[in-house]
Amino acid sequence: MQEPELHDLSDDSDYAASQQQRELRIMSRTDSGKRSGDNDPDGAEVVFVKDNVTIHPTQYASERISGRLRLIKHGALLFMELRIMSRTDSGKRSGDNDPDGAEVVFVKDNVTIHPTQYASERISGRLRLIKHGALLFMTWIPYKEKIDSTTHCSSSNTKLSEIDRNLYTIRAVPVTDIRSIRRHTPTFGWQYLIIVLSSGLAFPPLYFYNGGVREFLATIKQHVFLVRSVGDSNVFLVNDFQDPLQRSLSSLELPRAVSISNTSTPTLASSAPQIENSERIDDGSSSISQYGGRHGPKIHDPARDLSIQVLEKFSLVTKFARETTTHLLREIQNDGFLANDTKKQSQPPSNDNHETGLNDAQSVPNEISVTPDPLEKPLNEVLWLGCSNNLELRACSFDGKVIDQWYELSVYIRLYYLDGRVLNEFWKETHFEEAATRVGTFELVNSKEFDKLTLVWGQPRQPPLGSEEWATFFDAEGRIMDSKSLRKRIFYGGVEHQIRNEVWKFLLGYHEYDSTYAEREYLASVKKTDYETLKSQWQSISPAQARRFTKFRERKGLIEKDVVRTDRSASFYDGDDNPNVTLLLNILLTYSFYNFDLGYCQGMSDLLSPILFVMKDESESFWCFVSLMERLGPNFNRDQNGMHSQLFALSKLVELLDSPLHNYFRQNDCLNYFFCFRWVLIQFKREFDFEKMMRLWEVLWTHYLSEHFHLYVCVAILKKHRSKIIGEQMDFDTLLKFINELSGHIDLDVTIRDAEALCICAGENGAACIPPGTPASLPIETDLLYPLQDDNEI
Amino acid sequence: MSYAYLFKYIIIGDTGVGKSCLLLQFTDKRFQPVHDLTIGVEFGARMITIDNKPIKLQIWDTAGQESFRSITRSYYRGAAGALLVYDITRRETFNHLASWLEDARQHANANMTIMLIGNKCDLAHRRAVSTEEGEQFAKEHGLIFMEASAKTAQNVEEAFISTAATIYKKIQDGVFDVSNESYGIKVGYGGIPGPSGGRDGSASQAGGCCS
Ligand SMILES: Nc1nc2c(ncn2[C@@H]2O[C@H](COP(=O)(O)OP(=O)(O)OP(=O)(O)O)[C@@H](O)[C@H]2O)c(=O)[nH]1
Ligand SMILES: [Mg+2]
Repeated sequence: MQEPELHDLSDDSDYAASQQQRELRIMSRTDSGKRSGDNDPDGAEVVFVKDNVTIHPTQYASERISGRLRLIKHGALLFMELRIMSRTDSGKRSGDNDPDGAEVVFVKDNVTIHPTQYASERISGRLRLIKHGALLFMTWIPYKEKIDSTTHCSSSNTKLSEIDRNLYTIRAVPVTDIRSIRRHTPTFGWQYLIIVLSSGLAFPPLYFYNGGVREFLATIKQHVFLVRSVGDSNVFLVNDFQDPLQRSLSSLELPRAVSISNTSTPTLASSAPQIENSERIDDGSSSISQYGGRHGPKIHDPARDLSIQVLEKFSLVTKFARETTTHLLREIQNDGFLANDTKKQSQPPSNDNHETGLNDAQSVPNEISVTPDPLEKPLNEVLWLGCSNNLELRACSFDGKVIDQWYELSVYIRLYYLDGRVLNEFWKETHFEEAATRVGTFELVNSKEFDKLTLVWGQPRQPPLGSEEWATFFDAEGRIMDSKSLRKRIFYGGVEHQIRNEVWKFLLGYHEYDSTYAEREYLASVKKTDYETLKSQWQSISPAQARRFTKFRERKGLIEKDVVRTDRSASFYDGDDNPNVTLLLNILLTYSFYNFDLGYCQGMSDLLSPILFVMKDESESFWCFVSLMERLGPNFNRDQNGMHSQLFALSKLVELLDSPLHNYFRQNDCLNYFFCFRWVLIQFKREFDFEKMMRLWEVLWTHYLSEHFHLYVCVAILKKHRSKIIGEQMDFDTLLKFINELSGHIDLDVTIRDAEALCICAGENGAACIPPGTPASLPIETDLLYPLQDDNEI
Repeated sequence: MSYAYLFKYIIIGDTGVGKSCLLLQFTDKRFQPVHDLTIGVEFGARMITIDNKPIKLQIWDTAGQESFRSITRSYYRGAAGALLVYDITRRETFNHLASWLEDARQHANANMTIMLIGNKCDLAHRRAVSTEEGEQFAKEHGLIFMEASAKTAQNVEEAFISTAATIYKKIQDGVFDVSNESYGIKVGYGGIPGPSGGRDGSASQAGGCCS
């Protein structure tokens, strides 16, 4: 029975080597197989054991009961038994990493996915089949940066962010969960496989750069029932049985399935000679396509083949679907749907409500009504998801453009704890559109549902912090006991204007949170003297000295020119000879002496003006401005390195959080993000009215979710306008103008909520996008904070 | 509004020379001395008529500060005309012209028409650069030259329009391939009104009707 199947798969030399190893394995399995015959009745012999044999009591793929199917020979009779697995049994399935006692039966390096249509963008990894007990798991782990040993992949991998690697990682999927494997053999290029799970999940195409497709299929064939589809000889169906009886009967034909680990082989496959690209030019014509016909139960089912084809399409949208899921995850977190308290963490996962019906009350997550602080949550991970096979395709038009297709589908979501335990799994309805279908590409540019979600993600904004509540944050001596909850409070609501002049001093770092009233009073007087001393440095420059001090004259001239061009329409600064304008001049000029290396640069007056407006006091404004510049100073470096690192970080974040937009920017030469220059340089000062701008600033200064929350604000605004930007095919010029003209038309609360959601979604991966030292981080201490440049300007 | 052509202009020059004021004077016919300093770039637009053809000027007013230059350079791309401005009362703004010109030559297309403007000529009593020096510089570098005042509006209209006339002449002479938008010229629907008239992106399709 096996021989023709194996022959079918063994016509390449790559496979020949592995076949010898296989024979070794089979031999050892015969005796080790007895280990699985536990609890057998006297005189009974277990001739077949198969875990994870699953019944779907309803039409929902998520509802299933898994168990262990055994065939037991007792005398002359053969008994079949399906035993529902206990939680502990099924829990093994979610284990990542190689569980103890696991045997690696297949290893292939340089198996690669292409997350975009660009061949240069790829993630390479190691594909493995791991046997654990009677179960075979498939894993595909992308290489860490720089570990990649082959030259042709190492450079390309670095272009893709860490999150891509995490998103695509395939962690221990039981091969019995696979529904079909389609082999593609392009005339040019590498062979690849598209694997569709019975849940409807399709993984991105796996390209076998080093060959090994046949070996992979052959190895799977040794462990599960694998047949070719009658309709398409390149489709292999896993466990495709017409009915349970045939299933068990067919399984009898696969004695190797009763195999148990042989620990002597784990590295054999990886050390086997790699026949470079030997399969590249294999056009598949040598396959024996009638093979499947020899199996009685195989009846060609066009509907099934069609549905597999459709499911396979989703392998190409996995990235988008995963992105959507990440947002859904966030949404669910907001609903308090995820339980995250530490008590639960130390318990077995509660994922199997549907599967086993054995869940205890603890496992109902809805019981947890309080949403825990997102920062304290264990990082949940969406490991994989699928799309339901009940989907609709219809042509529709969008913004005057004909969109090829519109898919309505359900996304299957499984949430994991970091240690691999399953937290929850469920189906979620979603919609998205396909805008361009080319050979091998499937580009998504818009999702109405997705955009709608952005409106409800973040927490509702709270009323601003008032003076009564503010007072409750102090202890008797005036220390702020819980600065974190204060910052959280301000992050979600801002502060009322009349207490801004107190609150901002803390937010900006002029006052320490744990200082007392007395300490602050003392500090204020010291600082006042310090300021006067600094100020007198330039005030004492006589006209005669100034004539010989070009740098001073130029600097002063520039500041004078700019303070009269700063917020003069605000009543605080309007009119001729307004003394507040003079204060701006004094403070900026004093700052340019305090930080002579950085000096004065345009944009600083925009940052100072609201601070002076709030503080009213010259010395306090100066020191608050100093604190702010500790973080933002590099933005004003002559060489603009602070700005460039921020815009670079922004591009990475957009890539992470909105890949369709990122791709659009890349294709249209907009990746320098100069259109966000003003946003970042002066913290959206010119994009909102004065009150809103101050609100945003205090939110940013809490550094509650991130020091770089302003970058998430950028992403949120861009994302909001993504469909317009792409729909109107804006080029760099048009985009720049469009972004400029958004000024005054941005909804602050919505934007903050979106940014919050994005920031939480991005998590560690978002932080990893931002190079260390990027403003508004505190500067990395160096001897020279602000590298001087030779020029004849100030 | 429909137009026969759309020209992209950039205004460059040191900070404080009056670029934003010139733009405002041209688009709004007013002088606003308390205009905010420019960060990045700002935009203005106005329709003019040359040879009985409606022409839309889309004007980019850039920030003049030296340290912003690495960013403002990216705005040069695809400009058909440039106004290079200095302040006749501040010698250093005139001295920096060469470096501005170098930037423009490097980052803009070679056929860009450049108009040199000595601004603030209403402040003749504080003049630090003579008209002759301005003329001389323009001649040496092949620029058109005018002294102007954003405050009194003297020569403002003329500066923008004669730049456009020069560009228009270059089109007539076949210097530009107007279907190539990198020259900073877009061909509109010349007089055909309609919601999409002159819409960016669709304009270049209609090349035949105007040339
Ligand atoms: N007297 C006089 N003053 C002018 C004239 N044009 C501009 N100014 C003044 O010069 C100052 C600077 O003008 P802006 O238009 O803001 O300068 P800019 O070139 O745009 O400067 P940046 O945006 O920093 O690059 C303003 O305060 C104006 O009042 C002019 O023609 N005559
Ligand atoms: Mg300006």
